[in-house]
Amino acid sequence: MKKRILALTLTFALAASVLAGCGGDDKKEETKAPETQAAGGDETQAAGGDETKAETEAAAPEGGESKGVIKLGGLAPLTGQYAEYGKGFDIGFHKAIDEINAAGGVNGYTFEIDIKDTQSEPVTTSTMATAFAEDDEIMALLGDFSSGACKATAQICDSYGILQLSPTASASDYAAMSKYFFGIMGRQDVEAPFLAKYVLKEYLKAQKIAVIRVDSDWGKSCYDNFIAQAEKEQLDVTVETYATGEKDFSSLITKMQAENPDVLVVMDQGDPVADIFNQADAAGWKIQHVALGPGTSEQVVGRLNDKDNLIVTSPFFFDPDDAELTAWAEWFQGEAGFAPTIHPACAYDCVYLLAEAVKSIDGEVTRENLRDALANLPEYTGVTGSIKFEEDGDIKRNYMICGIEGGEWKVLEGFEFGAAGF
Amino acid sequence: MEYILNQLINGICQGSIYALMAIGYSVIVGVVGMVTFTYGEIMMIGAFSSYYIFTGLSNNLPLAILGAFAGSFIIGSIVYKLCYERFFNAPRHISLLCTIGISMLIKNLAQIVFGPDTKPVLNVIDNTTFTLNLFGANLNIRLLQIVVIVLVIVFAVALTLFFNKTKWGVMLRAVSQNKDASYLMGISVKRTALLGNCIGCGFGGIAGILLALYYGSVSATMGASYSTKAFAASVLGGLVDIRFSALGGLCIGIIENMGIIFTSATFRDVFAFAFLILILIIRPQGFVSKKGARV
Repeated sequence: MKKRILALTLTFALAASVLAGCGGDDKKEETKAPETQAAGGDETQAAGGDETKAETEAAAPEGGESKGVIKLGGLAPLTGQYAEYGKGFDIGFHKAIDEINAAGGVNGYTFEIDIKDTQSEPVTTSTMATAFAEDDEIMALLGDFSSGACKATAQICDSYGILQLSPTASASDYAAMSKYFFGIMGRQDVEAPFLAKYVLKEYLKAQKIAVIRVDSDWGKSCYDNFIAQAEKEQLDVTVETYATGEKDFSSLITKMQAENPDVLVVMDQGDPVADIFNQADAAGWKIQHVALGPGTSEQVVGRLNDKDNLIVTSPFFFDPDDAELTAWAEWFQGEAGFAPTIHPACAYDCVYLLAEAVKSIDGEVTRENLRDALANLPEYTGVTGSIKFEEDGDIKRNYMICGIEGGEWKVLEGFEFGAAGF
Repeated sequence: MEYILNQLINGICQGSIYALMAIGYSVIVGVVGMVTFTYGEIMMIGAFSSYYIFTGLSNNLPLAILGAFAGSFIIGSIVYKLCYERFFNAPRHISLLCTIGISMLIKNLAQIVFGPDTKPVLNVIDNTTFTLNLFGANLNIRLLQIVVIVLVIVFAVALTLFFNKTKWGVMLRAVSQNKDASYLMGISVKRTALLGNCIGCGFGGIAGILLALYYGSVSATMGASYSTKAFAASVLGGLVDIRFSALGGLCIGIIENMGIIFTSATFRDVFAFAFLILILIIRPQGFVSKKGARV
């Protein structure tokens, strides 16, 4: 008997932990309740109670008649090495949906999202995307985080005719892969050349560059775009790569140190950026640090040993003088427990873009007309700035040069610095 | 020359951590008699225990080592109770599957409890670099690397003394060599195996703190890749011999880092596992002698 109880307890604990890890969608129910009530769905009856009734009245659809719920499929790395970005996606998507639903929805529609954990692994992403695509109620996919994972769903999106709007895919060939692909992060074929010409050549006046980059789709695309411009600028570049998930960079640093470069550039996102610079500091290597990928990440600042030695490119900056942005950032920090980067802000903007697309549709919303409406959306200004899709479904952003001073991000050169282009 | 020597230092330091990981792994396999898949998560628990001591009680290294050992020791006892104790006489794959399940459980719980973000472990040891002139070449060695190597040597020697000079050590060796004979000699095999598993896990915890110090960070998912290295090093040493497992770990660390001289870091695991395969082709029993020397 004792054995049976132990076995049952274990099974439940294991299942609960795996589900918590994979699902990570605590807020789904909170979001879903008022939405479905607003839509007048059957679930309202099941939820019941005076409190939910009051919420129903508060969230009555804009324009009177309720047309239903638009369900979205979220793809995000809720666990694994990109988990903090996945958490940012989760919070960003839900905040936007809560706000839209609380304001009465759009054209009689409210929104609902089901987020699946993909760990930003292409195989998992395509499996989850297929599951969403086969569900006729899912109108669009939001996510994934990495360009590689996003690209893995091209055939699925084409076959099922469902759009995928990624907050963060930045590979220059991503959006062009499918007419159903959209991205709002900006493209590496703009950011990487900006790094070579404006950050390294003009701002830092560096000549000999050491690049350490992640050996991934994203990293390769970044470097290819970077080196093409670096050659035009006649920069002397040495490059080394490492596998995704690597923690030990000491040997790479020793190898690069032997080259005696002017600047150390890291092309990656998140943890490895701080790890590489910290390990370079620990090796006693005094060199200017530059990163392509993390943007003005507070997590990176929090993890850096020498905070005031990093310069990055960024299309976006949480300006402390902007009350609205500051309030958004503070709210995010309260929810997530860490300061936001551009990534959750892009996730937030993605939902509003879809809401704008729905607003422009007369009649019933289908996957196909939602895709067309999104593609033809006029310029929209979100938290992350101006967004206007180009023909291939991607956008081109402008970039600033940001650095850390006294432990805080500052704009070193604004958008005007690189305005002349390439 | 200078560059190669500096890479050798990196390799020795990384190899030392692998060696400690492999020692703990070999103790578990030797005494319990079964392979474990929870070792990566055990190291992660050790790393997080030290992280919370560093952040809560200032950068007290001895206390953090004690905390890492204790944290992993306790988790080790739970793992033993859940995965091994009830399945001693069951087919081996039962325990094996249990350790896979528990590994997933610990990892996912850690992501919920500790959070998904990577946490920094900085400035615990002074960022000092010593330069030695060796045959005209400047050899850079960091204080952190010296501390890591010294700690690994100290713990390896302490464990060897424990196994050879204490009553519990002799009992552990006896259980490792022959469980039935040990039982007939009046040794409580289950209790001794529990202790062996916990000590092995405790050493995994100390390896976890060294990883946290060396790489400056801890995360809930950090264990996976290191457990593979610990297993590989342990296999090189014949799975149950702590001295040869330590040698295996050291070799893997050096081979990985020397390989980077000729190619990119992307292929570091290729070097490590190619070396493992090569050795196993030549000596299927690993570095250990054919007669076998257990814990």
